[in-house]
Amino acid sequence: MNPDGSLVKLENVHKWFGPNHVLRGIDLTIQAGNVVVIVGPSGSGKSTLLRTINLLEEPTEGRVLFDGEEITDIRTDVNKVRREIGIVFQSFNLFPHKSAKENVKLALEKVLRLSDGEAEERAMEQLSHVGLAQKGDAYPGQLSGGQQQRVAIARALAMKPKLMLFDEVTSALDPELVKEVLDTMKKLADEGMTMVVVTHEMGFAREVGTRLIFTDGGKIVEDGNPSEVFQNPKDERFKSFLSHVL
Amino acid sequence: MATAVAEPASRPDTRGPTAPLPLSLFAAGAAAIAIVILGTLGIQAYQVVNGGPVTPACEAEGIEARLLGAEGVCHIIEGIRSRAQTVVWLLGIVLGAGAAAGGWGLYKRMPSKRQREQCIAGAVLGVQAIALSALLLWFRSGEIAPFIRNFFNAEVLAGTIDGFLRGMLNTVKLAFAGEVGGIMIGLLLAVLAISQRRTVRAPALVYINFFRGTPLIWQLFFIYAIILFGFGIQIETFTAAVLVFSLNTGAYAAEVFRAGIQSIERGQVEAARSLGMTYTQAMRYAIVPQAVRRVIPPLMNEFVILIKDTALVIVLGLTAENYELYTFSREVYSEFSNGSAFVATAFGYLAITLPLIRIVNAVEHRLRSGLTGVVGAGG
Ligand SMILES: Nc1ncnc2c1ncn2[C@@H]1O[C@H](COP(=O)(O)OP(=O)(O)O)[C@@H](O)[C@H]1O
Ligand SMILES: [Mg+2]
Repeated sequence: MNPDGSLVKLENVHKWFGPNHVLRGIDLTIQAGNVVVIVGPSGSGKSTLLRTINLLEEPTEGRVLFDGEEITDIRTDVNKVRREIGIVFQSFNLFPHKSAKENVKLALEKVLRLSDGEAEERAMEQLSHVGLAQKGDAYPGQLSGGQQQRVAIARALAMKPKLMLFDEVTSALDPELVKEVLDTMKKLADEGMTMVVVTHEMGFAREVGTRLIFTDGGKIVEDGNPSEVFQNPKDERFKSFLSHVL
Repeated sequence: MATAVAEPASRPDTRGPTAPLPLSLFAAGAAAIAIVILGTLGIQAYQVVNGGPVTPACEAEGIEARLLGAEGVCHIIEGIRSRAQTVVWLLGIVLGAGAAAGGWGLYKRMPSKRQREQCIAGAVLGVQAIALSALLLWFRSGEIAPFIRNFFNAEVLAGTIDGFLRGMLNTVKLAFAGEVGGIMIGLLLAVLAISQRRTVRAPALVYINFFRGTPLIWQLFFIYAIILFGFGIQIETFTAAVLVFSLNTGAYAAEVFRAGIQSIERGQVEAARSLGMTYTQAMRYAIVPQAVRRVIPPLMNEFVILIKDTALVIVLGLTAENYELYTFSREVYSEFSNGSAFVATAFGYLAITLPLIRIVNAVEHRLRSGLTGVVGAGG
């Protein structure tokens, strides 16, 4: 826990890609148990913001604190921090040469150094949790997009993270497969997991989110309780965004 | 999961019926090329079986009966110069021209796909028959006697089978050792070359560029000289050759590995790293196993190239028990003043390279035809 009792704290985070100023001073504090939904136009820096939280992107300026530690400090062991933060990507990023179960087991064995038996047990537990107990031996290429994404969620959850990040995890899915993934995430939220979710699914934001953030031009321009924010949006750009997606 | 619809036992043939005219055009083209090839070989076979003693014509051109293998050489020459051979080639040209003209002129008017294809095939085969016959006639118009004597003397080869086989074995040994060494050097170089740090990357890139940018024959010569005179190490030429082949192949293999690793989607490293794996672990468990499948075909291509490049060790001079194919043929040449072994050598190389080329093509095909090769079970 951070000094102020939060789990994640971003302080004045800036990110430049070459001449491109993508994050322009992000301040964000996330309490344990929250489900923070991030929406915003394409290219507004949502992914970059999410990825600075587990240092897949290193902020050009500013600090990131996670669970009482300044992880942007160069002396911090990022590999240790990342064990505690799960991330799920739009494109699944399962290891195609490993079965579903091996995908889940790999980091358990190589990072957490669990024995084969323990890893096996935990992998099967997590696959059952996402409803894929029978698909353990299937390779990613043999699974539907929705199933692959649920394996990816199981793979992240198996590390027993304190925080889960989701980056448009349903955007690459056929419409009929979206629900199974959203249901899995909802279940996770109900169990009390702290989550940061970048999504275009406004229904999910309203129903599951405890907080809604709208980014535009690398800044947070709207931030509040989802139902309130949806009912009377203040920022003009957010209003026009809502009129397009709703 | 999509299950492919079962293919019907035999696909319906939709190319339509044939007809006598296109069929005969096709037959004419096929006959023309067959006559040229089989006729020429047949005449030579006849000469081998029925050819007599050295003829006065051969004698007059310096193929004297007392010379080793004179009879066989004379048989070949007489066969090529025979009237039957002239008839065969002219027949090939006439038939081929008929098929080519007919097929070319008529294919557009054919009512079915099958008939059109038969016209085209007949025309193509006809052109091939004309080209081959014309080339052989042209060849015959030159000084064939000294050429045949120098390169097609079977008696010269008769006693060299052992040396030939040893040459093949040594060629494979040299190339294989060079390839194995090259793969190890290449792996190390690739790891350095993809580093984010310029200080780590730079020496690897200098190495790679140097070995890719200078001739292998120069490397063989110069590195051998450096080892021998510079470092003062007494080294066998065979060992030196393996070393230089390894160093050279290492540069090419490094590029292959680098391309293979960089062809793996960025998301794979990110997935591994965000599970807490170190860079090395991500490489070892996520990236390299996928890259390996993709580098097999280009590495095998490099191997085929190396097999042929082993011929360059001739500049170092090998000891007799280490002769590879090319050195072998040069030695036969020195002994008999006859180059027939050079011709045999080509078949030696082909016997090694053709199966490999077929394997590469099969592997490439497997990798390309969907994900099965990349994703498939195992691993
Ligand atoms: N690795 C990168 N290198 C260079 N530019 C990047 C990189 N990642 C993102 N960007 C740029 O940063 C901007 C924000 O990207 P991103 O965070 O992916 O936006 P969003 O997720 O909201 O669509 C875009 O202009 C994008 O092109
Ligand atoms: Mg994005």
